[in-house]
Amino acid sequence: MKYNHKLRRTAISSVIATVVLGSISTSAMAEVKFGALYPLSGGLALLGEESYRGLELAVDQINENGGVQGETVVLETGDAVDNNQAIGEARRLISQEDVKAIFGTYSSSRSIAASQVAEMSKVPYFELGAVADDVTERGLSYVFRTNPTAYHMAETIIDMLVNSIASELEVDPAELRIGIIHEDSNYGSSVAKHQRTFAEQEGLNIVMEEHYPASIVDMSSIILSLKNEEVDVVLQTSYQDDSVLFLRQANERDYQPKAIIGGGGGYSMTPTAEAVGHDVIDGVFDVDFTQYNVNPDFAPGIEDFQAAYEEKYEEAPRSGHSLINYAGALELLRAIDAGNGFSADEIKKAVLAMDVPDGETAAGMGIKIGENNQNERASMMGMQWQDGELVTVYPEEASVADIRTHQ
Amino acid sequence: MDLLFSLVINGLMLGSLYAMVSVGLTLIFGITKVINFAHGEFMMIGMMLTYIITTYLGIHPYLTLVFVVPLLFLLGIVVQKYLIEPLKDSDEHIQIFATVGLSIAMINLVLMLAGSNNFNTPSSGLRETLGLGAATVLTGQVVIMLCSIFMVGGLHLFLTKTQMGRAIRATAQNRNAAQLMGINVSRINMVTFGIGIACVGIAAVLLSPLYPVNAQTGQSFVLIAFVIVVMGGLGSIAGAFYAALIIGLVDAFAGFYLGSSLKDVAVFGIFLLVLIFRPSGLFGNARKLAHVS
Amino acid sequence: MNNKTASLTSVRGTGSVIQQLLNKKVLLFVTLASLIVIPIMVGDDYIYHIFITICLFAGLSTAWNIVGGYAGQLSLGHAIYYGIGAYTGMLMLNAGVSPWISMFVGAVLAAGVAVAISYPCFKLHGPFYALASIAFLEVFHVISLNWVGLTGGANGVMVPLELGWSTMVFSERLPSLVIVFGLMSLVLAVSWAIRRSKLGFQLVATRERESAARGAAIRTVHVRLYAAAISAGLTAMLGTFHGSYLTYIEPESAFNLTFSIQIVLFALVGGLGTVFGPLYGTILLVPITELARGWLGSSAIGLHGFVYGVVLILVVLFMPDGIMSIFQRYLPTSKGRHVDARDEKSTHHVPLNDVKKSERAPVGEVVLKVQHLDKHFGGLHVTNDVSFNLHKGEVLGIIGPNGAGKTTVFNMISGFLSADSGSVEVLDENGHFISPKTPGAFARSGVGRTFQIVQPFAAMTVEENIMVGAFYRFRSVEESRKVAREIAYELGLSRFLDEEARNLPIGGLKRLEVARVMAMRPRILLLDEVMAGINPADLREAIELIKIIRDSGISIIAIEHVMQAVMELSDRVIVISSGEILAQGEPEEVVKNEAVIEAYLGKEVTDASTE
Repeated sequence: MKYNHKLRRTAISSVIATVVLGSISTSAMAEVKFGALYPLSGGLALLGEESYRGLELAVDQINENGGVQGETVVLETGDAVDNNQAIGEARRLISQEDVKAIFGTYSSSRSIAASQVAEMSKVPYFELGAVADDVTERGLSYVFRTNPTAYHMAETIIDMLVNSIASELEVDPAELRIGIIHEDSNYGSSVAKHQRTFAEQEGLNIVMEEHYPASIVDMSSIILSLKNEEVDVVLQTSYQDDSVLFLRQANERDYQPKAIIGGGGGYSMTPTAEAVGHDVIDGVFDVDFTQYNVNPDFAPGIEDFQAAYEEKYEEAPRSGHSLINYAGALELLRAIDAGNGFSADEIKKAVLAMDVPDGETAAGMGIKIGENNQNERASMMGMQWQDGELVTVYPEEASVADIRTHQ
Repeated sequence: MDLLFSLVINGLMLGSLYAMVSVGLTLIFGITKVINFAHGEFMMIGMMLTYIITTYLGIHPYLTLVFVVPLLFLLGIVVQKYLIEPLKDSDEHIQIFATVGLSIAMINLVLMLAGSNNFNTPSSGLRETLGLGAATVLTGQVVIMLCSIFMVGGLHLFLTKTQMGRAIRATAQNRNAAQLMGINVSRINMVTFGIGIACVGIAAVLLSPLYPVNAQTGQSFVLIAFVIVVMGGLGSIAGAFYAALIIGLVDAFAGFYLGSSLKDVAVFGIFLLVLIFRPSGLFGNARKLAHVS
Repeated sequence: MNNKTASLTSVRGTGSVIQQLLNKKVLLFVTLASLIVIPIMVGDDYIYHIFITICLFAGLSTAWNIVGGYAGQLSLGHAIYYGIGAYTGMLMLNAGVSPWISMFVGAVLAAGVAVAISYPCFKLHGPFYALASIAFLEVFHVISLNWVGLTGGANGVMVPLELGWSTMVFSERLPSLVIVFGLMSLVLAVSWAIRRSKLGFQLVATRERESAARGAAIRTVHVRLYAAAISAGLTAMLGTFHGSYLTYIEPESAFNLTFSIQIVLFALVGGLGTVFGPLYGTILLVPITELARGWLGSSAIGLHGFVYGVVLILVVLFMPDGIMSIFQRYLPTSKGRHVDARDEKSTHHVPLNDVKKSERAPVGEVVLKVQHLDKHFGGLHVTNDVSFNLHKGEVLGIIGPNGAGKTTVFNMISGFLSADSGSVEVLDENGHFISPKTPGAFARSGVGRTFQIVQPFAAMTVEENIMVGAFYRFRSVEESRKVAREIAYELGLSRFLDEEARNLPIGGLKRLEVARVMAMRPRILLLDEVMAGINPADLREAIELIKIIRDSGISIIAIEHVMQAVMELSDRVIVISSGEILAQGEPEEVVKNEAVIEAYLGKEVTDASTE
């Protein structure tokens, strides 16, 4: 028992030491602490960290301009490696670090788990990147989300298909045979669910739907099924490995649908294009958070963001996750700055008062917290791989190039 | 008909890939009686090495065999000598945990060094498609198919025709008797483990141009490999080969008819049926499960 | 005698007041108390969370240990039961049923699933069982993903945040800690009680030597199914709690292999098969993981996982018996009842006590009828038309060269093998002939056997070994213990009662084997080469021992190579060769049989017969 006693003592004192040292090393200006909860280790770490960088850059920018309400923002990080840990870290941030709000989380399940804790402790929880519906559909009063969700992704995909792609292809959208394939975690399933709903609303013809584990090593049976059903338009919601696998195998098996529209994850990333081959991925569509080849007039500040990113991390942004986290966090911090004090209800009041129109953030989308505390102006962008670049093609006002169709 | 043909070809290609991954596992399993839960991680390390050597030296991925296979052979020997051998008289639980621990450590070591990124070994023309009637296959897949046959045949010859091979088989059949005959059992185990890992090294090199690798890659293959090894019969190399082809076909057909999400249920369902009704494998002889003297 | 005994002695020698105070009971009490007291004193939500996590994993790990440790079935799929509990709780809470009720529903469900899964799998051992459990876990994972109507698929299930005791959802942490501490204590109590009960003895005996356990009339499949069901039920209850604590559950986290491995890891580090090992293992590892995460986690991806794997390897290599083995070595038990084997003059010579000798009763009626037994192994005809009878109070010797098929006949007349044709009939207590089929049925009809290769339950003490036999007659642990001591006394094993069976010399083991069978009070005793490999002094005593047994009216069939014993003990001798009965009759007659001498027995017998 002595051992354990000691261990715990050490644990506690070390935590305290970190806090004390942390506060000594910063400037004399008053401080306000916010939590940053992302998966920073484990399988989700890559994009978790990318998302965190967006938040970090927003905080840097706010601090350079005088902080919030005259106080320097200090971020306390928590590592949400699994759900139990997400809860533990949320609890630590709230009880030990005494954060005034938590920002996060990239992963939907971590977000759902951790935000329940925040809600019960009456600490505002700002989701900047997770896409599952349930994050904001639980009727919680201190959980807010700025980023577009699975709903918006599906909406943009179907809109782009009906409004732009079909007309470029010169076909009636209702005649297209549509196949939906997606990875089977809550990300893929949520998007697919909304795709189905929107497609039905538009009277589209879904001929096939299939899901698979993201760790799949061979998709030839799926491609055979797609061929067999003569699918014209494939909608895939996927991570990176399965995007690469699908595009490669479709190409090798000479399966050439009229359009492939990817949902997020792998489709937006340059390593995917490099793995698949730029000639193969050329012409493939993608709907995701705002990426970097976007009309800067519609996304003011995006160039500064990229510059700041490259200066701080010595590489170009690896995906749009940092941008969407940055855009959301920046506006939230500005709103809190305009508020009066850091109590949960004051922060909530300040955040609810936000009214940023479309085309005024670095991600293009506007921010206004609406029903269920979800940003009602959140939106995604439609993009296409053209000549080795992922360029924004939809909506019109954000686009930098026209949609191309093959043949 | 075309569809059926395509499915069969897909299944056989996948099956020979699985065979390559499983052969080393069944060899180790059969001789040292240890289930190597870290087998997939050795493959992942092999793929990482292939990627690194290919991109640094700019050589054809297949040429990395010269480096990867001896390296993995040595790694296997080290693991056998310092981890498995000291536990040879321990409980089965303990042996299982030794390799489980090794697996966890290896995955996370790679995560530390390389992050969770994917690495794509240049395909160097191995992703060219070959038409085969209604089906298409990749040159790399054909190479894997041929190599899996060579590997199984080669191992068979090695085990039956060489002095070392005979010693290995003698050890597998009766450890004590082999010891009495002057065979150095711990050396045999080391060599066997080394060869088993070297086999998965060959698989890793051949797979690399076709599949991206990350820290978790081994996990995707290893459960299937276990299924194959048990189905093929403990330590039976030919058995593992046939079982791999069967699982490849099941994978392809179940993937098409049941859907990709349910095909694992088919594969694991078959595995459980085999375990319960024919624990000695589809091709092995009945193994005495209850020990009565 | 060995290092272990020596170190035990030295500890007792240096036993001081401090050590008396620091015994295991005190340690346990302090540990349990601090699990509640420390978080209350610190009063911090995060510390609460860590302690809740400790209690949760200690509970899960202890529950796993019932089937994984006691029964020796290495399940890597225990997340199945956790997931079932969690899902049951969440779904029923959404339907308005309190977790206090659904907890039990989940437990029953999980126990049912455990029985269904385990029944076919229990003939698999070690790695095969582990693989099967992983496969089942994968199947459950896929089912939970695809059965969207029930489980919500990949999106998982959430509970509305209605706080209170009835929903088990709280904003403050103390109630959660109290609940999980209570559950953990329940699991510990169940585990403790099982270890001390008949079931516990039977589980450990089954783990140590399945065939010997079956010989002792233990229904080895049944007892392991009980263990699996209890373990699964308790795991599910903790799952229900954790579901409410997380307020959110999804297939990815519910049916997770890493989670399963973690549960087992804590038990392994603490000490497999010990009652409190899993608790100490968890208490040691959870804070270490938390510290590693705090210090290293976010700075280096994978570092803490790496540390984890390395710790596992190191434990396996250098401390395979876990933390409990250290406690065992350095802390006295409160009982303080160690046998100092060095008091014995010689452990190789186990003296026989003076036991009252009864007059031998005359040989009576037939008690065992063996008719036309036939058995083939593949193309080999190992038993060919073997028939014989055994009478009450008779000693029947079976001799024959190695590989003649003697043990095969034994296996068929004790239920371990079934004959291709022919019958074995046993006179039961009511005077009817019955034909038992399984080892258990034979044991119940009064047939007890020993094994040619001794099969002690190595990790159990001599007393416990004998108790396993006695449990066949007695339900209560105390009665069995009493009988075990009596028999140990009769057979001269009293001095070794608290010694682990693995430390006995071969003569002692042979005698232990007989003692375990005798504890079942058999009417027919089958002895398979109990004289082989023991020294001359022991041999003399062993012969006397069998005479005592015989004189008490027990019928004996003995396979024996030691001719001195055969000649002296046997009333009749059967010679088996190549699966056939070559000759039978009085020992003197048989050894004079030309064919027997020439073909099978050689010169040795002529020497023996002239003794």
